[in-house]
Amino acid sequence: MISMLAAQSLSVMRSGQQVLKDVSFSIEQGEIHALLGGNGAGKSTTLLTFLGFLKPASGSVHVQGRDVNGNLGAARQAIAYLPEAATLYGHLSAYENLHYFLSLAGTDTGREALDDALDRVALQPEARNMRMETYSKGMRQKVAIALAILRDTPILLLDEPTSGLDPVAIDEFNRLARNLAEAGRTILLVTHDVYGACHVADRIDLLQNGVLVGAFDRPPGMDRIDTEAVHVAFAQHAGA
Amino acid sequence: MSGLIREIRFLASDRAALLWLGIALLVACVSVILGLREIAAQRAVLNDLIEIDYAEREVLDTLYQDWGDVAYYTFHLTWDSPSDFAFAALGQRDTSPWKHQIRALALEGQIYETDAENPDFALIGRFDFAFAANLLAPLLLILLLHDLRSAERTAGRYELLSATAASRGSPWFARAALRTGALALCLIGPLWAGGLPGGAGASTLILASLVVILHIAFWWSVCVLVDRYGWTSPVNLTALVGAWLALAVIVPAAIKISVEAAVPLPDGGEILLTQREAVNDAWDLPKAATMEPFIERHPEWADYTEVGQPFEWKWYYAFQQVGDQTVEPLSQAYHDGRIGRDRLVGSLAWLSPPALAERAMQALADTNVAATLAYEQRVRAFHKALREYYYPRLFRGEPVSTASLEQRPQFQGNES
Repeated sequence: MISMLAAQSLSVMRSGQQVLKDVSFSIEQGEIHALLGGNGAGKSTTLLTFLGFLKPASGSVHVQGRDVNGNLGAARQAIAYLPEAATLYGHLSAYENLHYFLSLAGTDTGREALDDALDRVALQPEARNMRMETYSKGMRQKVAIALAILRDTPILLLDEPTSGLDPVAIDEFNRLARNLAEAGRTILLVTHDVYGACHVADRIDLLQNGVLVGAFDRPPGMDRIDTEAVHVAFAQHAGA
Repeated sequence: MSGLIREIRFLASDRAALLWLGIALLVACVSVILGLREIAAQRAVLNDLIEIDYAEREVLDTLYQDWGDVAYYTFHLTWDSPSDFAFAALGQRDTSPWKHQIRALALEGQIYETDAENPDFALIGRFDFAFAANLLAPLLLILLLHDLRSAERTAGRYELLSATAASRGSPWFARAALRTGALALCLIGPLWAGGLPGGAGASTLILASLVVILHIAFWWSVCVLVDRYGWTSPVNLTALVGAWLALAVIVPAAIKISVEAAVPLPDGGEILLTQREAVNDAWDLPKAATMEPFIERHPEWADYTEVGQPFEWKWYYAFQQVGDQTVEPLSQAYHDGRIGRDRLVGSLAWLSPPALAERAMQALADTNVAATLAYEQRVRAFHKALREYYYPRLFRGEPVSTASLEQRPQFQGNES
């Protein structure tokens, strides 16, 4: 079976510094895969490499079995991307932002579908026509998540998706992510939130200074990965 | 198409872009209105002067019984009517004469006279459409395009936009094309709105629009070039304004200085002074000193050179002509030098697209150096015709008659 996302011996340089070193992993359809690590671990770099914004110094990244290098358009069409602290246009409303970005993606989406997605991220209906510059950080993040859902792509790359969300919203996001995965969508999320990653992910790769230092799978029949074990590993490598 | 509609909606919600486009529209409208008013004022002046000129000659024709008096006291208005597109690029009409009152006296003392209404305006130039489109519009385009990508990078949207776009680069091209197109429309719209009712030909307006579009396209490409470096918005703006300063101000100034140094011109005052001195000196010289060089040029009057009286009109007009002949080399050098400078400036203008666009518009408006020289040539031809009309009457001592006056040359204007 072809992996939806795969990194093979991936090394990436940024500004003369090696930020990823020989990283390999693969993600199958319907999986939620979390890259966990501290600041500067190389998590966002991994996402940007899948999107073609950064070129591998060595190794390769594949989207739906195709090397991103040489198939960039196809790779991007298959991916919905949620950047860290996504800032949509402040002078536009949530509806207008969604309409704009979906149109940019070539997706024709009606108001009903927009409302459905905004309902799923629990954005208050009365806020949807307001300019987003009046939104809180969490409300902006909800709209960005709604955008990722509405893209209707087989793969979602989410960079710190719960950043700025309150605990209730984080819980709602986790359930939403699981529903999307059950519907067949593949999710690669990067986070430094150990608790959140353990609750939502099928697999966690621990990334430290650009190197994969550990991997944790959700045991069969369990609803989450062992938080304690991940915490210990995270603390151990962070202090290393 | 849907991408264009999307970006039009987006542009419509961008207050900063709308502000710059509004300013472009305002600047274009004001420049066209000012240009039309200036040309209307010039036409009104010419209409009045032409009327006065005819009326004055009708009176003078009844006053004098001697061809010398007739030639001395009768002025003839010459003029260079503005073209119907001159409102857009006033060009040389600011600094070079477009109307002269000519007598059959020495020409060189008359032809460089000008009556600029306000020398300060002549110095700084007019606020015409060519100025707005060629000097100000690039700045507005820079303001519209300098942060297209860099602002998105700063806001953290760049990767989201690029990754979301169905085809690579599509949002940037569409946005830049729309802003550039909107700016071009804001400029060209008022030009057509002012030009068509004013009688400017559609072909001229199309060519002028093409000049505007090509010039703006050049600045778009400069913006794209700077944008490739991935600098921040302030750095982009600084680099682009620097490019504008270099190409629109410094290079044209350097061209002017170099051309003036490379192609020296005789001093206009020197021509005037030499001619005046030659004419004034003639009063104290033997008559033969005047008549000999005159006859060299006009051998047909060799049998009429005897000047028996202390003053005779034919001698007076002969030394007027000899005064012109004295400065002919200087005058020719001045004429050739102006053509030489203009040609050299035309070649070097390729180094400055704003200067090149300005020259193109002045050529379309007939307000360039070539048009000025063509008018000067028409004045010289008319003056020559006046002399050819008066000389037989002066030298043969014919009586003044209405029938003969009716044969006197009339200046033909260049109105289309």
